[in-house]
Amino acid sequence: MLCGFPDVGLVGVLASSHVISELNLDELAYVDSDLLPPIVVLRDGLPRAPMRILGNNNLLVTIAETAIPAVGVQRLMRSFVEWVKLKSVKTLIPIGGIPVQNRQEIEEPKVFGTGSTLDMIKLLNREQVNVLKEGFMVGPQALIMRYSAERSIPAIALLAQSFYNYPDPEAAAAALKQFANITGIKVDTSKLFEKGEEIRLRAKDVMKRTQRELTKMNKEQEYDLPLYV
Amino acid sequence: MSVSRRRRSVFDLIGEYIDEMESWVEELMVSKQPSWNINTNTIEPLCNVDITHDEVVVTADLPFSDPESVKVELLDKGTLEIKAKIKRRICCNDLGIIHQSGEFYTFSCKVRIPVPVDMDKKKEKVKKGILEVRLPRKKGYEIKVE
Repeated sequence: MLCGFPDVGLVGVLASSHVISELNLDELAYVDSDLLPPIVVLRDGLPRAPMRILGNNNLLVTIAETAIPAVGVQRLMRSFVEWVKLKSVKTLIPIGGIPVQNRQEIEEPKVFGTGSTLDMIKLLNREQVNVLKEGFMVGPQALIMRYSAERSIPAIALLAQSFYNYPDPEAAAAALKQFANITGIKVDTSKLFEKGEEIRLRAKDVMKRTQRELTKMNKEQEYDLPLYV
Repeated sequence: MSVSRRRRSVFDLIGEYIDEMESWVEELMVSKQPSWNINTNTIEPLCNVDITHDEVVVTADLPFSDPESVKVELLDKGTLEIKAKIKRRICCNDLGIIHQSGEFYTFSCKVRIPVPVDMDKKKEKVKKGILEVRLPRKKGYEIKVE
């Protein structure tokens, strides 16, 4: 299962949205929670929940089209991971961004990974993904990893170097390339480059709201030096 | 160690507080508006202000903008205005706005700069459609270390 929740650069949301569109996935489930803002997303005139799960026979994709309020992120992510456990999902792969200050100078963003179990770390090493051995993660992806580890759910977070507060379709493409290496599910990412400017323009309002919530979550702590004595 | 700085009267301080409060009120007002304006044909871009030890770095995401048309001006001592022409036709429908019609020609935003800066020494660049403006901070006073 691929998860794309709003985070830095909207990397996960853009990746999920692209996969859903390219593979023409069907809606299978949605998250109903009072912790989410009172909004619906209109699709072809019909109301849809802002957090939904789509899929086919071998892939599930979670997408959230609104910023997740900081005040409810822990309860939402805990319930989400419990649901994932109940459904016996084979591997959970949250995709996100890792903010870098010199993003403008980077032509091809690198992708880093973390795993919920030792087997997942071994898998990352086998696929030659740079493992984030130390440091902090903050936000929805961080909680998914923590709750997955607690429940022994195999999970891998793929984090692409990205802008902090600007939508980053190139980072989403880099993360999906690594996703393909790990899962064998290949998705053509050329549209993320061709339509990059259009995506950035259309995603800017969700990015702005996401940034506000990330500030409340102290997202900037990801820049902190890890404490080891 | 000697410290020298300009003396400020109580009226200066009150003035600064009023300016500060006005900017908060403005921010609150702006946040309730859409990020586009059909009357002025403008789109407000995402922008960010970073204050470091010796400079203020302002960035703005300007997709579809013409880099040659980017204008950066200091409106008053605490407000920076960024404007850029949009190089292709963008109408409401392109942005998923169905209930109104119109076109957008310009990016426009005002950014609050909370510390004094030297505009004469500003440096600008546009890369990957992102504007970066570097403004050296003005030194208010100097502490001499003996």
